[in-house]
Amino acid sequence: MKKAVFLVRLWIWFSLRQLRSQYWRTLTVLLGIALGAAVFTSVRLAVNASVDSFANSMDTLAGKADWTVVTPGARVPEGLVAALQKHPAVETASPLLSTYVRPAGNGGEPFLLIGLDPISDRDMRQWSSTGTSERGSSWLTLMRTPYTLLPGEKLSERWHKAPGDSITLEHAHRTVDFQVTDILEPEGLALAEGGGIALTDIATFQEFTGLHGWVDRIDLRLKASAQNDAARSIAAMLPEGTVLEKPSEARESGKLMVRSYRLNLSVLSFVSLFVGMFLIFSLVSLHVTSRRHEMAVLRSLGASSRLLFFLFLLEGAFFGVVGWVAAIPLSSFLVRRLVEQVSATVSHLFVRVQVDQLPLDPLEAASSFALTLFVSLLAAIQPAIEARKVHPREVFLRHASRENGSPAPYCLALLGALLILTVWPLVRLPAIHGVPLSGYLATFLLFCGFSLLSPWCLHLLGSHLPPLLQHVGGQPAYLGGRYIRDSGARMALSVGALITAVGLFVALVIMIHSFRGTVELWVEQSISGDLFLRPKMSEINRYRDPLPPQTVQLLQDLQESVEIVPYRRIFLTYEKVPYQFEALDLSRLRHHASLLFLQGHPENIFRELEARDGILISEVFANQTGLGVGDHFTAQIEGTKLDLPVLAIFRDYRTQGGTVHYPLERFTKKSGDTSWSGARLFLKHPGEDLEAAALALKNEILTRSGDQAQALEVTTGRDLRRIILRIFDETFSITSVLLLIALLAATLGITTTLATFILERSRQLHTLLAVGASRTQVRTMIIWEAVLMVITGEGIGLCCGFFLSYLLIFVINRQSFGWTFIYSVDWTALWISLPLILGTALFAALPASQLVFQRPASQVLRE
Amino acid sequence: MNEVFSSPIIKARQLTRIYRLGQVEIAAVDHIDLDILPGQMVVLKGNSGSGKSTLLSLLGGLDQPTEGELHVAGRDLRKASPAEITHYRRSSVGIIFQSFNLLPTLTVLENTCLPALLAGKPSPQVKARALDLLDWLKLTARLQHPPSHLSGGEMQRTAIARALINDPAIILADEPTGNLDSRNGEIVMELLWELNNKLGRTVIIATHSTLADRYAGLSLFLKDGVIAEYS
Repeated sequence: MKKAVFLVRLWIWFSLRQLRSQYWRTLTVLLGIALGAAVFTSVRLAVNASVDSFANSMDTLAGKADWTVVTPGARVPEGLVAALQKHPAVETASPLLSTYVRPAGNGGEPFLLIGLDPISDRDMRQWSSTGTSERGSSWLTLMRTPYTLLPGEKLSERWHKAPGDSITLEHAHRTVDFQVTDILEPEGLALAEGGGIALTDIATFQEFTGLHGWVDRIDLRLKASAQNDAARSIAAMLPEGTVLEKPSEARESGKLMVRSYRLNLSVLSFVSLFVGMFLIFSLVSLHVTSRRHEMAVLRSLGASSRLLFFLFLLEGAFFGVVGWVAAIPLSSFLVRRLVEQVSATVSHLFVRVQVDQLPLDPLEAASSFALTLFVSLLAAIQPAIEARKVHPREVFLRHASRENGSPAPYCLALLGALLILTVWPLVRLPAIHGVPLSGYLATFLLFCGFSLLSPWCLHLLGSHLPPLLQHVGGQPAYLGGRYIRDSGARMALSVGALITAVGLFVALVIMIHSFRGTVELWVEQSISGDLFLRPKMSEINRYRDPLPPQTVQLLQDLQESVEIVPYRRIFLTYEKVPYQFEALDLSRLRHHASLLFLQGHPENIFRELEARDGILISEVFANQTGLGVGDHFTAQIEGTKLDLPVLAIFRDYRTQGGTVHYPLERFTKKSGDTSWSGARLFLKHPGEDLEAAALALKNEILTRSGDQAQALEVTTGRDLRRIILRIFDETFSITSVLLLIALLAATLGITTTLATFILERSRQLHTLLAVGASRTQVRTMIIWEAVLMVITGEGIGLCCGFFLSYLLIFVINRQSFGWTFIYSVDWTALWISLPLILGTALFAALPASQLVFQRPASQVLRE
Repeated sequence: MNEVFSSPIIKARQLTRIYRLGQVEIAAVDHIDLDILPGQMVVLKGNSGSGKSTLLSLLGGLDQPTEGELHVAGRDLRKASPAEITHYRRSSVGIIFQSFNLLPTLTVLENTCLPALLAGKPSPQVKARALDLLDWLKLTARLQHPPSHLSGGEMQRTAIARALINDPAIILADEPTGNLDSRNGEIVMELLWELNNKLGRTVIIATHSTLADRYAGLSLFLKDGVIAEYS
């Protein structure tokens, strides 16, 4: 303890005062690490808020249920409730229905309407209304009076509705006026979906949605005396296709989908912290070099080498702790902006989330603190080891020696090449529990490997370029090149920050470009159609409501002028992997659209599909389940057992899991389900203006649908494709923000690195003045050094970026999300961006070049 | 000259320090035999590169001999572990440098206290002793000043206080007057003499200057790493 107190005291005397006297440099590094910590913390908090909101919603909806009865891909007959209630082990059997509906009129935001039996639900879920202390009156009203509801506090505020007011709600089935009976207390069930829910009686719900006699699920609460085999005996009484599930399964399945997104975003946000690490390394190693003599004095006075080690490690810890504290206000600013974007992306890609609050998770705060501290200590370790090597005899040297014992550049390059080579076997390893750990490790090794190549590259550049530079830029350019040659490993490692940021930039530019290019191709070829028709809010309600029979009839009447490709889409899980089963008229679709098959010719595949029973699966589904061509897919859908071979794998970028395609005709034959979830329409005679013809068809359908029109969502193909690409761009906007922050941190790194090198060489630079160089010549020399440094960083970063882009596309994306893209490089973006980065980095070098003549030459040279 | 003990406090036999500069070997100290008694005031003289500073750094435990024996204050410095040498530097020697080597971020008082705090002595006791020393060296008015606010003489006096804080038996001074004007050089030499004469410390001074000659009990002239002359 006494030693620790002394260590801190000495650190304050020796290091803190030094940091305070050089406050600009200290603040720059603190800003860098604070940015990194803030990005990491806020991204984690934002994603966690989304996931927690989803999990909380699922938990509050599940209530106290021990088991849930569901029919995958279909609904449960309501009659089963009474039978289950009679089971000796069942305490309560409570039916539940839920769907997203919205207030009528444009712009009404969808919310979750829950239909329940207020009596049986009493023991299952916690909810109460504000109007009376007795729950009785409001729930009785729900049961007695049709079309009454209890909205949550948030909804009533959003609608400006009080008890007694009425509100018109629209659903795919119909539009009806509801009366607000009372307002839900903000507790229990009322907090699901961020408070965006309303309760109604199950009978009202069924009438509203046309689901007479059906429920989504039946929640079961077992008696305390229930035997262990109660679940088995309950399952035995269920009809074919209906199963007993743990209520947590839906939550876990949703969380599984978000997991990869969360992990990848966390890793991406960590890059800023990683870049910040280089800043700490740069400054601490400057202090170790420039204060070598002072350290030798300390050693001569009796300080042990271990004490020096801890002194500099403590300096790293200082940056970690203070940087993290400084990150708190930055994080709270960022998280508010990120949470909306993250929750929108999660809702688009995986599961619908409504974030109403940002809970401060102490564990998350502690882990972010621990990580920031860890990277800061990691950054300070090498300079601290260097400090440990200071020998007391150096006290007799007037000027500190530098770079003692630095490994030769080619040794570091060999090590770097070895690390890069290690990436190859690593990327061939499979993901562990869906987490691409080997991919992440390979990414880290790539960054380290390429950073270690830089000393050798700088040495090579500095050895061969100076004569050429002399022709181009005269003596200053020549001297700048020579300095780069002799700058040693420390400058090279500082260039590592730039290599990391540029590498990541290039990789993400390529990945996003490849992704977008492939998605555009997919949208053009697979999402073809002049008009798309489906029930309103079908995406949000996971296509649980089919098209009304009248609409199906109307479409069939249009067959003379329009080719119709109907589909039945059902959301299911395959060995806990969520996917969409889509039975569609593939024989018609193939005339208008094509699937992007990974292998095989489309014609041959469709011919095989006609000849024998089988399915087509998406790349995502194949990677997530491990199924391949020739494997058998088994599932129970709407009570129908399917056991089908996989005939081919196609690229698919649909959100919310993988896809399985099956011919509609065969599915209808096997299941007896003739309903359509939606349809694609192709005009047989579009004329010259396809868009105008599609709009005309849209108007005709809506007009002829009469009252049904308000339940339909009719989108032109062009609009739908535009929406898909817009969602794509929105999804990647957060990536771009994180990338810009990493580049900003790297730019701060350039400023710090150059400033440190200039201050360190103060004597040398002033000697140049003394022997006749002009101030402009010295400044020009510094700018040349910066140019060479940045060019080296960019060059190596570019190579690193190409490797990394391959890793991202073919390893990390495949293992995380199941999809890969057609590799293509956005040369235009790179040609524009790389000179811009060079310009920015050089701009960042200007303040450093001003530092050199802050003190009079006579004073510097006398020291 | 105080000769309290008859056995040498410093005993060197065939003491050698060789530096390697690439393929070239340079013997900075070349097979020196030396006995220094407790309480002696020794002046090491010689040109630049004669080995004065290397010999001092060996005696101060700042460097390790390449060959030979070196016993100082009862310790075999050739065989001592790094931890033992660190302890030796804290407890047995105080070193004064030509360029003072005060830590720029510490005040006069803090610089003085530092070696004792490094040795793990209690802070109040250290502070009291530092205040006494600084009072004796007429630096009381400068306690909270950083070294950059001091004159050369004040800096060297602070360095002397720092060298004395652990009450070492041996004081080593490397060109202690080299960076001082003649008046301050005189003052510093007087102080070193006082330490030797009144307090019984063994003082070894490496210098070019003739200022120390009149205080020397023993003068050694070094040339090319060997003792060329005793007087």
